[in-house]
Amino acid sequence: MIAESGHYALVLALALALIQSTVPILGARWRDPALMNVARATALAQLLFVAASFAALAALYITSDFSVVNVYENSHSTKPLLYKITGVWGNHEGSMLLWVSILALFGGLVAAFGNNLPLSLRAYVLAVQGWIASAFYLFILITSNPFLRIASPPIEGRDLNPVLQDIGLAVHPPMLYLGYVGFSISFAFAVAALLEGRIDAAWARWVRPWTLVAWIFLTLGIAMGSYWAYYELGWGGWWFWDPVENASLMPWLAGTALLHSAVVMEKRNALKVWTILLSILTFSLSLLGTFLVRSGVLTSVHAFATDPTRGVFILLILCIFIGGSLSLYAWRASALKQGGLFAPISREGALVLNNLFLTAACATVFIGTLYPLALEVLTGDKISVGAPFFNLTFGPLFLPLMIAVPFGPLLAWKRGDLLGAAQRLTAAGIAALLAVAMLWAWTRGGNAFAPLAIGLAVFVIAGALTDLTERTGLFRVPFATATRRARGLPRATWGSAFAHAGVGVALIGIVCETTWNSEYIGSMRPDDVAKIAGYELKLGDVTQRKGPNFSEMLARFAVSHDGERLGDMTPSKRNFSARSSSTTEAALLTRGASQLYVSLGETTADGAIAVRIYHKPLVLLIWWGPILMALGGVLSLSDRRLRVGAPKPAKSLRGLQAAE
Amino acid sequence: MTLWFVFALMTVAAIFAVLWPLSRGVRPQSEGSEAAVYKDQLGEIDRDLASGLIGSSEAEAARVEISRRLLAARDSQDGPPVASSAKLRRSAAILALVGLPIMALAIYLPLGSPRLGDFPLAQRARAPDAAQPFENMVAQVEAHLEKNPTDGRGWNVLAPVLARLGRFEEAARAYRNSITYNGDSSERRSDLGEALAAAAGGVVTAEAKAEFERAVALNADEVKASYFLGLAAEQDGRGSEAASIWRAMLAKAPPDAPWRPLVQAALARVGGAPVPPPGAPAPVLSNEAMAAAKDMSEADRGDMIRGMVERLATRLKQNGDDVEGWLRLVRAYMVMGDRDKARSALGDARQAVANDAARLRQLNEGLKNLGLDG
Amino acid sequence: MTRKQRRLTMIGGSLAVLAIAAALVLNAMRDSIVFFSTPTMLAEKPVAAGKRFRLGGLVQPGSLVRGDNLAVTFQVADGSNTLPVAFKGILPDLFREGQGVVAEGALDAAGVFKADTVLAKHDETYMPKEVADALKKQGHWKDDYGAKKPDYSATPAAAAQGPSPAKQGVSQ
Repeated sequence: MIAESGHYALVLALALALIQSTVPILGARWRDPALMNVARATALAQLLFVAASFAALAALYITSDFSVVNVYENSHSTKPLLYKITGVWGNHEGSMLLWVSILALFGGLVAAFGNNLPLSLRAYVLAVQGWIASAFYLFILITSNPFLRIASPPIEGRDLNPVLQDIGLAVHPPMLYLGYVGFSISFAFAVAALLEGRIDAAWARWVRPWTLVAWIFLTLGIAMGSYWAYYELGWGGWWFWDPVENASLMPWLAGTALLHSAVVMEKRNALKVWTILLSILTFSLSLLGTFLVRSGVLTSVHAFATDPTRGVFILLILCIFIGGSLSLYAWRASALKQGGLFAPISREGALVLNNLFLTAACATVFIGTLYPLALEVLTGDKISVGAPFFNLTFGPLFLPLMIAVPFGPLLAWKRGDLLGAAQRLTAAGIAALLAVAMLWAWTRGGNAFAPLAIGLAVFVIAGALTDLTERTGLFRVPFATATRRARGLPRATWGSAFAHAGVGVALIGIVCETTWNSEYIGSMRPDDVAKIAGYELKLGDVTQRKGPNFSEMLARFAVSHDGERLGDMTPSKRNFSARSSSTTEAALLTRGASQLYVSLGETTADGAIAVRIYHKPLVLLIWWGPILMALGGVLSLSDRRLRVGAPKPAKSLRGLQAAE
Repeated sequence: MTLWFVFALMTVAAIFAVLWPLSRGVRPQSEGSEAAVYKDQLGEIDRDLASGLIGSSEAEAARVEISRRLLAARDSQDGPPVASSAKLRRSAAILALVGLPIMALAIYLPLGSPRLGDFPLAQRARAPDAAQPFENMVAQVEAHLEKNPTDGRGWNVLAPVLARLGRFEEAARAYRNSITYNGDSSERRSDLGEALAAAAGGVVTAEAKAEFERAVALNADEVKASYFLGLAAEQDGRGSEAASIWRAMLAKAPPDAPWRPLVQAALARVGGAPVPPPGAPAPVLSNEAMAAAKDMSEADRGDMIRGMVERLATRLKQNGDDVEGWLRLVRAYMVMGDRDKARSALGDARQAVANDAARLRQLNEGLKNLGLDG
Repeated sequence: MTRKQRRLTMIGGSLAVLAIAAALVLNAMRDSIVFFSTPTMLAEKPVAAGKRFRLGGLVQPGSLVRGDNLAVTFQVADGSNTLPVAFKGILPDLFREGQGVVAEGALDAAGVFKADTVLAKHDETYMPKEVADALKKQGHWKDDYGAKKPDYSATPAAAAQGPSPAKQGVSQ
């Protein structure tokens, strides 16, 4: 009964989504408030039913009901409970159900907290959400239904994939989806604006919190995925320019651009047409990511061609939504009124520059990801576009952007004073030059690029701090005044400073890790000592141990630095007998932001173990940066300005004004 | 019945969600407006000015700009809120009341299986299921082997059982262990290969093929391995090679080899000329055997089928738990045109499973499809 | 500045950035793209020694030889042809004889492929895409080879295509 109720709930959600995508639009056309309000109720009900459906699938996994094909194929009764639950979205059907659940969640949030929106805009936004939802419900029900049954249930499930039993892998897809799918709201707002034929500064303010939420989750999701690859894959790489990773990076780049252009639109009523286009593109890239990951086109172009149902369905959704919204854009955008003017050198100008570089960088990633696919489809030639390509294209585009980042917040709106901004950045510039000089001296003229890049990162961080000191007047006015001002500063200002500093922090980590990491690869026997970057690792005993469903070989390394004992590291190699497969569990030793990384290879015939040891200086900064960025996003989100006119009837709105 | 009740409740809830806003459409709603945003922006400028973040001239310019937007927003606001039209509301309500349930059922019925209940593992473990003790036994053997992995005999017993249960990957592991601890043999190698192929969904993978090749190397007459090597060749698109392997098998085979029909059927599939049949009955009533039977003379075929049916009947007399077997037997009698025997077999079957409600139900379900009333 | 001049500055700036991006992409395309090949493709269309490419195929069973200090050699096969590969380092967890593999490196003068990376993915059902496609073309691949997609309507005994001859007496 659970299975069938879940199935039926999903069908009802589709029916509600279809009503949600038609009735409110008619209501908005005829200005009928009752019909427009249907959007809100159906969005909430839709959320309820999808949530019920998802809960039903989770319950089926927990009770190991193998009469459901999806559970039978992807679960096993001996899995730990946690991995039974995370297994719900560890497979295609379940992850698509998670996708629509999150879509419905965002729709429900707009319905619940969108009281500050004009009624017709809310109706349009939710109707567009309804279109997307209907398309994906149909996709799930027709091609990837997780609730199909087996009449005579097998006794045991089929899957115990050990690599998937990892908490990092379990958590980051939902994060990524929250990001991907969150951008559907910006998309819905953009399409709603085009349908209404009316767009202005207020629109940007309404759409900003939603874009921010999506961006925060996407940032965290990408960072978590990267850290997972780092510790789980066993050789310390953290970014592979793999199509799956690129699929999440592209919406992030476009979404970052969107955040910035929406600021211009909100403040100055300018860049409206561009912002609408970016909203459409960002979600289109999210859809593209979903297509790449879910259609199987990456695994094999031929598999896609021979079993095309799923892939073609998503491709169809992709074409309808991207093509449809872009045609609508081409048709209606010219009708939108142009907004405020500004000089090239101004805050607006800086943000335009930011947008240019971000979208150009996004375009290079796009080309690098899709060119091999296109080439293979067209000519049959197989090529791989790897890290060198992206380093040569993405890198050079990102560096000038980094130089510009500190200037942006210091320029005034409309017409800025570049010289004045440069003067205020003197301190930051000096800090950067000092960093370059020190590093240069320390590495004795080694690689020239690394000190320069770190200098740039220091410049970005110091620039973010400069922005804060300038605004609070720290060092110019009495300290008490400065703290008072700091408290009065809009949270969004703090947020952008944090996010910009986060970029710098991540850059330091990336440069240090790639330039100065050292590795030791060799075979070791007990009592052998490996020396790396001033650390000494002595291999102690090698023991065998039995886990719940695996047996593992543990190697114990005693780590010391300059004779001082630091502790033990115990990497292991696990063999999962049920699957006759093995995984490598790396051991990490954190010292500040740097890490020692040990992973084991094969045992050779004469009893030695192949060992890989890395010293990764400041590697953790790579992930602290994004966390800082996300924190900045959260600060911005908490800015009271984004809640203006929020769910309060007229009375409290007056109260709000009085308070100002 | 409960299920339909739950469905009905859910449908009512969904309909209610649509009807509810329609019912209160007359009352004016609180709605946000652009003006509120611009007023807030004005306030923000005052705050920034007060805390010294912007100069007074900048503030003045910004204030003018926002005021202009505020005026524009007021102008563009569509007149007084339109009252909701009763006609529209009624048609939307009809859509919800009629369209929604029809839509939901039209989509659900072809996809769902409302007649299947839940089968959580815990419940099945409690159910008086004849398969259960067997399952427990397997689990016990597995646990034993987990502790004593060098017990070759145990692996030997476990491996085919796991293969029968469809746990092919584990079966393959068991066969591997059996080879390790019992020594290599052509049978074990080919069983391992079969398990590997089954795990790959019937595809003779490179890994499986290697096992069959090792088996044939150990014993050139290993039947199963040769058969699968032929299958591998067929799957790789080398039909003629497959045919030659199978033809060689048939040439060497004794005339009464039970697997003859199967190989012949396979041979026919790749278009090889059939090797003259020896007329020996196959022990199974599998599709392959049936297909093979087509190549036999009328009398031979009759003999073969009768022989098989007889054996099936004998087996069911000894162990009546096999519902599938009973159904097959009844079906066979009906195909042979012997309705009386079919009826009596049916009676026997009912008696054999009378004490087991689940089986009885399964039997009755199956009988419905046979069209034998009574 | 007039409105028109401002607009021109904007458009000019955008075009400049786009031009830079395009130049970077074209430059990178020329230098840093790696082609994929298999032993059979190599036999038909040889690649010069020293030119980097990716080699894909199945690891020939029984060909893996471990030398001193993590050096390994193995053969990569794709049905009709094989190619010797030399690699120094730790092979990925999922590297196994009889399984698909992709190695990146270049041929040396003796015709041995010197690999500097050997790739495997975290999903064990993953077959490197290039290998899957190449094998498929040559008919060494059946659909659903790597993708576990069982025919759930089938009973366990019927899941293997054609039950084995030896077991037929048992299965009834």
